[in-house]
Amino acid sequence: MPDPLTVGQVVAAQEYRITRENLVRYAGASGDFNPIHWNDRVAAAVDLPGVIAHGMLTMALAGRLLTDWLGDPASVVEYGVRFSRPVVVPDDDQGVAVHVSATVTEVRDDGLVAVDLAVRVADQKVLTQARALARPPENDDDSGPGLASGVADQPAT
Amino acid sequence: MAIDPSAVGRVYPPQPYEVSREKVREFADAIGDPNAIYVDVEVARKYGHRDVVAPPTFVMIPVMRGFDLLMEDLGIEYARVVHVDQRFSYSRPLIVGDRLETTTTLDAIRQVAGNDLLTIRNDVRGADGDEVCVAQATLLIRPEESADA
Repeated sequence: MPDPLTVGQVVAAQEYRITRENLVRYAGASGDFNPIHWNDRVAAAVDLPGVIAHGMLTMALAGRLLTDWLGDPASVVEYGVRFSRPVVVPDDDQGVAVHVSATVTEVRDDGLVAVDLAVRVADQKVLTQARALARPPENDDDSGPGLASGVADQPAT
Repeated sequence: MAIDPSAVGRVYPPQPYEVSREKVREFADAIGDPNAIYVDVEVARKYGHRDVVAPPTFVMIPVMRGFDLLMEDLGIEYARVVHVDQRFSYSRPLIVGDRLETTTTLDAIRQVAGNDLLTIRNDVRGADGDEVCVAQATLLIRPEESADA
């Protein structure tokens, strides 16, 4: 039997990087070609501090932390976020670091687990009310697709 | 000019979307996710799925089709739109081969500090009419004057 999950337990944490190249790829894959995500002139014209990441890309990265932990992406029952602050992506090779961590907030009688996602750039939260409801993984030594296998990953600091 | 309040309750015609293998691969690649369940049928079957599944936020692609209809109807350009929040409730994952239909409903309009806040619901259903995902969004629409400020 796996150890039961407990409220307050941090089940996953990871740092992801977003570069301009990622924005171009995401624009193409998602079909969201809003120029504030790739054009500095347009971003400046609407008073943004720079080209910003698609909110849905940041949501996808936080979701990835969740699905890496869960193993099966189909275990996500609910997932919602509030886009509280734009993620500015500089025009360099490093891009911006987005830190994500997932903490259990409720273990329900029906077997579902509520998880709170903390998503921040430097010390500022970029997503708030980032919450998910999921069927937790059945065991901790899942040898299937798992944690921290991404080429773009950096160890959480 | 504020958005016509009588638009509340408007339901837009269902928009079809077919989940394709290459789009799922492209999307997983774009979010930098190497999980094999998005590309490898054998891995997906190990988890009990008939075929490759899509990442949870992939559903935004069909949802955007519904947004497009609503924006066109209300005469809103995307340059004025700020995504405030997004929530998904899943009945099941999106699977390659799914022929989905997304129905968009404008649930509410509120005025906040000269902006319009739209509450939009998207019902994503499978080919049999089965519920796949309910997506709820709040979009902030800046007034036209400030769009080219």
